[in-house]
Amino acid sequence: MATLIFFIPLTAAAEFSFRGDFGKGHSFTNYIWLLKQDGFLENLLITLQLGAIAGILNLLLMVPTAVITNIKFPKWRPVLDFICILPLIIPVVSLAVGAQVAMPEFLQNSQYELAFFFVIIALPFTYRTLDNALVSVELKTLVEASRNLGAGWFLTIVRVIFPSIRTGVIGAIFLSFALSLGEYTLTVLLHWTTFPTWTVIASQQNILGAIALSVFSLVGAVLLMIFISIFANKRNKRLNQQVEEEFA
Amino acid sequence: MKTETVTSRSDVIARRSFFISRIPLPLLPFFLFVGFFLLWPIAVLVVRSFKGKKNEWTLANFDAALHGPYFHSFVSSIKLASTTALSGSIIGAFFAYVIYKYAGNRLTVILDSISAVFANSGGVPLAFMFIAAFGMQGLVTKTLKNLGIDIYAGHFSLFSFTGLVLVYTFFQVPIMILVFKPALHGLKKEWSDANSSLGGNSLTYWMRIGIPILTPAFLGAFLLLFASGFSAYATARAMTAGNVPLVPLVIGTLIDGNVISNEANLGSALAVGMIFIAVITMSGYLLAQKYASRWRTK
Repeated sequence: MATLIFFIPLTAAAEFSFRGDFGKGHSFTNYIWLLKQDGFLENLLITLQLGAIAGILNLLLMVPTAVITNIKFPKWRPVLDFICILPLIIPVVSLAVGAQVAMPEFLQNSQYELAFFFVIIALPFTYRTLDNALVSVELKTLVEASRNLGAGWFLTIVRVIFPSIRTGVIGAIFLSFALSLGEYTLTVLLHWTTFPTWTVIASQQNILGAIALSVFSLVGAVLLMIFISIFANKRNKRLNQQVEEEFA
Repeated sequence: MKTETVTSRSDVIARRSFFISRIPLPLLPFFLFVGFFLLWPIAVLVVRSFKGKKNEWTLANFDAALHGPYFHSFVSSIKLASTTALSGSIIGAFFAYVIYKYAGNRLTVILDSISAVFANSGGVPLAFMFIAAFGMQGLVTKTLKNLGIDIYAGHFSLFSFTGLVLVYTFFQVPIMILVFKPALHGLKKEWSDANSSLGGNSLTYWMRIGIPILTPAFLGAFLLLFASGFSAYATARAMTAGNVPLVPLVIGTLIDGNVISNEANLGSALAVGMIFIAVITMSGYLLAQKYASRWRTK
């Protein structure tokens, strides 16, 4: 019952988004208008691109760091814990001002600078996800077994650890990708245009279209999240089942 | 025993790079990345906030930030953050309890996903949704009007302080649900059993066990909501055209380029002020978290 309150603005927005020309009747007019706008595809593509770069950077940077810290340098964990919570503490607005005064020219002239900051903003979430995944597997045993069998560190990480924390890794990449797609504050303060900021500009001409887009993006994101959690749950269940069968 | 009395230049350099040299090589990429994209900008920001227009050291930026319209923006930001943190934490705690108590597995997954999306990327879309619902032509406005209630009869406007409170609450509540539910799951069944076997009823349970145990978690969550409301930018920018002066919006206009040159570093000072307030609240949050996890068994 209580959760119904959440659906009131959402339904209202959905109803709005289907209003036809001059507010009469209901149709897909606003959605079609949106597709026809200048820059729709362009901005969508650059945003997806930035999100993908941020996701890959996260994978390359955070997975080895989290894994190695957990196995070899547990002393450094508090330092990592602290650094990875900083982006959550420091207001994004402040980070944006700092970026504007501190980043070298060549970076500021490229829209790809955003991808690096998206990684920073996503850091608290990706690190948590990876860390939780790492804590839940018998890391030490796995590493010792693999090393005893003659595998090097690289092979151990790629062939043994990586598969066992796959859900966590996928979750972390997805999180940083999703956060990048929706990032607004940093983008607009550094004077770039991505899909979210373009939406706001487009909305000044057609508020109905903007509302249509909001509904579209929120519902899409929720569905994606549900899909991911069900997928993760299923995988965990299957893994547990396998383990139980093998030990039975 | 050998004693070293002479400190050479190389010694100083060695000592300075001591910390860096102690970072294990595999962790170096991470520290370089974070150092360059997170710590460096913040360091430059702090230095800038103490500089005048001729690059001299000064406190003038902070003097300006603490007086007149800039100080006023801090006051209204804090007012907005505390109001919405209060409403968000109370409503959110209630929702979290209802979900924890009555929702099945499947519904919990769905509600968690909705909360996560609203809490993290709700900002701009949320603002537009509210315009759709509570704006002049909104669905809720019209429905209420048909029922004889005109919300626009008084001074209500979605683009005012009250309007912002309404919209902010809608991303504060999901955050509260996400952070408060784990605390509820930490309530052990044994405690309620112990309570009833000692002759207590549900009132004694909540007064003596439930509320005292949940208080640190609740206070911590309140501080987290305060911090998120205080530094939120996207929603405010999409909602108000400068009607309500909030610190993030003021900083936004200051660094937008079209500023008088001697105010260039004022934006830095305001940004440092925001960090200052955020650090205080978030430290409180982390401290409360520590207290709250006392009762949780690992």
